[in-house]
Amino acid sequence: MKSDKLTKILGLATSAIAGVVMSVGVASADAVKIPTHNWSSQLVGAEILGRLFEMVGEEVEYIPMDSQTVYQAMCDNDIDLVHEVWQGAFGAAFEKVVGEGCVIDLVTHDAKTREEWWYPAYVKEMCPGLPDWKALDACADQFARADSGGKGVFIGGPVDWLKHDAEKVEALGMNFIVKNAGSAAAIWAELDSGIKQNKPVVIFNWTPNFIEALYEGEFVEFPEHDPACTEDPAWGVNPDALYDCGNPKGGYLKIGVSHDFKATNPKAFAVTQKINFSNLDIAKQSNYVDTDGMEVSAAAERWLEEHKEKWEPWITM
Amino acid sequence: MSVKVPKPLWTVVPFALLLILKPVLPNWAVTPPKSCLGGCADIDGMIPFVDWVNAAIKFLKKHEFLGAFTFRDMTRSMSDGIQILLDITEGILHEGFADFGVGAVPWIVLVGLAAIYGWYLRGWKLALLGGGCFFYLALFSKRGIWELSMQTLSAISVSAPIAGIIGLVLGIVAAKRLGFERILWPVLNVLQSLPHFSYLIIVAIFFGVGSKAGVIATVVFAFPPMARLTMLGIKNISPEIIEAGTMAGCTRKQMLFKVELPAARTELMLGVNQIIMQCLAMVVIASFIGQSGLGHDLLTRLQRLAIGQALEVGIAVVFIAIALDRFSQAVAGKQPDHIVHGPLWKRRPFACLALGFIAVTGVLSLVTPHIGQFPQHLTISTSIFWDGIVDYITLHFYQPLSIFRDAFLVYFLIPIKGAITWIPWIAVITLVGCIGWRLGGWKLLLLTCTFVFFIAASGYWVRAMITLYMVLVSLAICALVGIPIGIWASRRDWTTRLTQNICDTFQTFPSFIYLLPVVMLFQISDVSAIFAIIVYASIPIVRYTIFGLRNVPKDIIEAATTSGCTYRQTLWKVRMPMAFPEIILGLNQTLMFGLFMVMIAGFIGTVDLSQEIFRALTFNDGGKGLVIGLCVSFIGLTADRLLVAWSDRQKKAYGLT
Amino acid sequence: MSKKVKISCRNVWKLYGSNPREFFDRHQGDPGEDAIRSEGYIPAVRHATFDVEEGEILVIMGLSGSGKSTLVRCLTRLIEPTSGKVEFDGIDLLGATDQELIDIRRHKMGMVFQHFALLPHRTVIQNIAFPLEVQGIDRETRDRKAREIIEIVGLHGRDDYYPRELSGGQQQRVGIGRSLAVEPDIWFLDEPFSALDPLIRKEMQDEFIRLQSMLNKTIVFITHDFDEAIKLADRIAIMYEGMIVQLGTAEQLITNPATDYVAEFTRDIPRAKLLSVGSIMEPTGEDVHPDLTVSQDDNVSKIASKVLSQDRDVRVVNAEDETVGILRRQHLVEVLFQD
Repeated sequence: MKSDKLTKILGLATSAIAGVVMSVGVASADAVKIPTHNWSSQLVGAEILGRLFEMVGEEVEYIPMDSQTVYQAMCDNDIDLVHEVWQGAFGAAFEKVVGEGCVIDLVTHDAKTREEWWYPAYVKEMCPGLPDWKALDACADQFARADSGGKGVFIGGPVDWLKHDAEKVEALGMNFIVKNAGSAAAIWAELDSGIKQNKPVVIFNWTPNFIEALYEGEFVEFPEHDPACTEDPAWGVNPDALYDCGNPKGGYLKIGVSHDFKATNPKAFAVTQKINFSNLDIAKQSNYVDTDGMEVSAAAERWLEEHKEKWEPWITM
Repeated sequence: MSVKVPKPLWTVVPFALLLILKPVLPNWAVTPPKSCLGGCADIDGMIPFVDWVNAAIKFLKKHEFLGAFTFRDMTRSMSDGIQILLDITEGILHEGFADFGVGAVPWIVLVGLAAIYGWYLRGWKLALLGGGCFFYLALFSKRGIWELSMQTLSAISVSAPIAGIIGLVLGIVAAKRLGFERILWPVLNVLQSLPHFSYLIIVAIFFGVGSKAGVIATVVFAFPPMARLTMLGIKNISPEIIEAGTMAGCTRKQMLFKVELPAARTELMLGVNQIIMQCLAMVVIASFIGQSGLGHDLLTRLQRLAIGQALEVGIAVVFIAIALDRFSQAVAGKQPDHIVHGPLWKRRPFACLALGFIAVTGVLSLVTPHIGQFPQHLTISTSIFWDGIVDYITLHFYQPLSIFRDAFLVYFLIPIKGAITWIPWIAVITLVGCIGWRLGGWKLLLLTCTFVFFIAASGYWVRAMITLYMVLVSLAICALVGIPIGIWASRRDWTTRLTQNICDTFQTFPSFIYLLPVVMLFQISDVSAIFAIIVYASIPIVRYTIFGLRNVPKDIIEAATTSGCTYRQTLWKVRMPMAFPEIILGLNQTLMFGLFMVMIAGFIGTVDLSQEIFRALTFNDGGKGLVIGLCVSFIGLTADRLLVAWSDRQKKAYGLT
Repeated sequence: MSKKVKISCRNVWKLYGSNPREFFDRHQGDPGEDAIRSEGYIPAVRHATFDVEEGEILVIMGLSGSGKSTLVRCLTRLIEPTSGKVEFDGIDLLGATDQELIDIRRHKMGMVFQHFALLPHRTVIQNIAFPLEVQGIDRETRDRKAREIIEIVGLHGRDDYYPRELSGGQQQRVGIGRSLAVEPDIWFLDEPFSALDPLIRKEMQDEFIRLQSMLNKTIVFITHDFDEAIKLADRIAIMYEGMIVQLGTAEQLITNPATDYVAEFTRDIPRAKLLSVGSIMEPTGEDVHPDLTVSQDDNVSKIASKVLSQDRDVRVVNAEDETVGILRRQHLVEVLFQD
């Protein structure tokens, strides 16, 4: 008796809910859902994409999102596209959902990314011979801290970025330890503090990045990357270890779209296929905000203004 | 000669024995073993909790109930319903309704209404405070703070009522049915101690992303205090009032709606107050799964290292919190006055004033556009000022503090960390069990040991111990700093008020902001993390110390005074012992705050459970996130159960219950 | 007595403990003191048997913990008695269904509480109209009725005040008003004046007497104050450890206490105010002053000065002016000054 009643109630509830879904679903399903993260180039780029989609008659919805959880959201079709998939930071999460088949690897930008150990300019004077890694290793003691046992400290990215810095240190026999920051912001705080104290620091950095606009500095040069370096121990200076080399200098920057994107927003999908940002584009997008102090929407407008010849072909069918 | 061991010491004897015996203990007793229950693939612990949770998630995602819909379809349609509500509140506060040609509520109307409402509730002081807080949002809106605040407010105006209704209904049922209360209570405990990051993925899977998901995550965190206060309120109604209702011939429904709920009004309003504060505490974290507003903006600015700008946004959060807190407190405390007869403006003077104000601004808006939009050229930004302060501190304090930092790290933290991670897990569980048994008998023993065993079996033992080490060190420092501050603050009325206001501010201030200055001062190290924890977790111990000391019965203090006690003697011989149970509860809360903050301090870079939770976030591993979250929660609950049992014992001994 | 019995209470028990009913049955409905104590039960009420007659004021009197409040709650079934029988107008109250109980309470019972039990969120008029509201009576009717009652209980002009804006005495007037709103057949008052200041208490007692003279209700009145009991009661039941140790008029209790406990209770009561001449006279006698007579129904305190101003005993007469006895001067002095 009781369960009968329960089923009835459940049935009623579902049909009511279903009704709601229908009425809502129609209204919002076809807006392109673009995530906004917490760094400037992405925010500006997201707005640029949104404007382009609107030009071809799509509706756009911006959703603030963590840059890691966004991949699960895209896999569930809650987010339609991510236009700045960094190989270094998000490669692992991205490739996982691509592997599951719920996200499509659609575009690879011309922009090349590089992630490597990086130091502010003044460190070069303290440590002659830089940017060569051996020179860095030679003055490791200058980078030492109270709890590092006399070894130099390298501030790495969060562990979940899956960099192989610790393996690199070991393979190259460097007198360094890796300290993982918990977030990118923590790396910048370390850098900022080091610069204020004029103290040697070496951190994990990448390009394009707003940091270049704020502080001068350069990447450490490790042995040139080769695919064999991460597969064959015999390769490189250390015959017994992997990762005895630097990171690839041309990491990818991709656009990923959700599996259903093509079906729900064909026009936006067509535009997305043609989008392609260069290093300069990304740098400009971020500099407008980070160095010129513009607000995001103004920066997006300015980029669109100045690059008509670039984006106009993207929206012509 | 026989040595007499005091009774409490016996509690630690088994623990000490196990420590001494560590060298001969088998390996499985030192570090929790791994097992191959349910396949050996990549299991970290004894029992594959993570796989179980993930299997459950998959089931709920895919399995079709009644052959028609999955659990996820249901949750998804719920979030669509929430979206409708959000569209309404966002329309009112932020976006306007373009379809009807109606704009959002203008800034000046909100400022004015806040002031009038404050005046109505508690007079001109609250009017000034309420109006002032909203005016701040408008005046400092150079970076769009007004719009962001309205987004945040619109999300809160959806999540707070939902949390309120859920809490109210659960609280009512629990107050009426003892069996349900027994189930609900532990669930509330877990929900309140579960780190937010641990359920974000699950929320994203079942409710999607965006402001609607932010609302769900907020509701999960915000409803428990309401449920508790509803239970408390209904149970605390004087039995005579219930009898009066019965004798009037109330049916059950009449009793609930006409007698019980109105009579529990004060507690219910306190619950509403708590909900609002919890919602504001979630502003930043909800933005991880897509809530727009101040939280997201704050994170963006931090990411750019624009600390001053982030601080400005954080202050906006504080101001909203203070305004809403004082308003809801005033509503809770407001007693109705007798009805005055006469024309409408006499009967409802404030409503008329509000309507009049709206009318006047409506007319004015035809004359000047600034009614709808705060004049941009008048807006102010204080970010440069804040940046200057941060720069000054990092420039001038870094050197002197670095000596302290290094010494603290090398001679204090590293040895303690070593010691805590050195202890065999068997010894830990034994110690917890012995204390539990002593304080609360075999029931408490069983409960706390289950918690500890879960952590050991989950495979995150070492990480959990590192989390524990950071929390314990912070707890000790908080006690050393917080109790004296509390003693000082309890001395006079104005010091109490001042300290409480500072506590309010720090409690609502988004803690993410001080992570970066702390790193600038102390580098990426446990010192930074512990410092950040202390800033936040000292609040409750200060509050409870003040509360305990000020609430010692007056006649006892008078008795001490007439016995010729000096201030010092009264403090140490009378007030402190009497306040002791409250101080224990304060420590308990400090521990909970510490656990909350330890997770956020993970953004600095610590090698504990928080790092694992972030890893779970990256790989969308909902099960792992939840299991680690439960580990954190169980650390908290173990300590909570023990401390509460201790406090109760002391209170009973003093006859304070 | 020829009067109609309103409430009849037969062998009512209320035991607190782990399983009182089973315990009670095991002892065939009459557990002894030892059994109760040894098995850890708390006897709140023990074989309470009495009737309340129509129009009578029965005061149940006892110290705190004597079970008087529990007893009155058994009569209203606010507390479920462990055993026994309560009849209200011939209806078996303990057998009534929930719905029947609600009906009885809505129309026939009124109750006043020690701490007033006013609903804090309602005005005076809303509180008084509350029992009418739950019956579903329309607003206009119930407000009219409530206004009448406000006049009766002397709260004119306070209609729209909230309880916290009133003094204790005024609050209890609201409580009384509320309990009278449904024009109950029987009126329960549970220590209605205990929470009030002595002066206000006296004023409220007088008020109560005034009301009763107007309304003539059947009343069960609980108090721990013997003076109050004497002042208001037609009959008094004295409770001790859950049992009614004696039930009778004030005079009976004083002149003929059933137990030492009752005697102890009544000892400090100024008898003169209470005793009638009839109760302390000697039936007939000689050497009677022919001129001075007192009526046998007069209160002792009333005739005291008249008698004491004389040097000898006085003659006691009944309503028909026939001599029925003699009042010894010496005895009067003893009564007046208590030994």
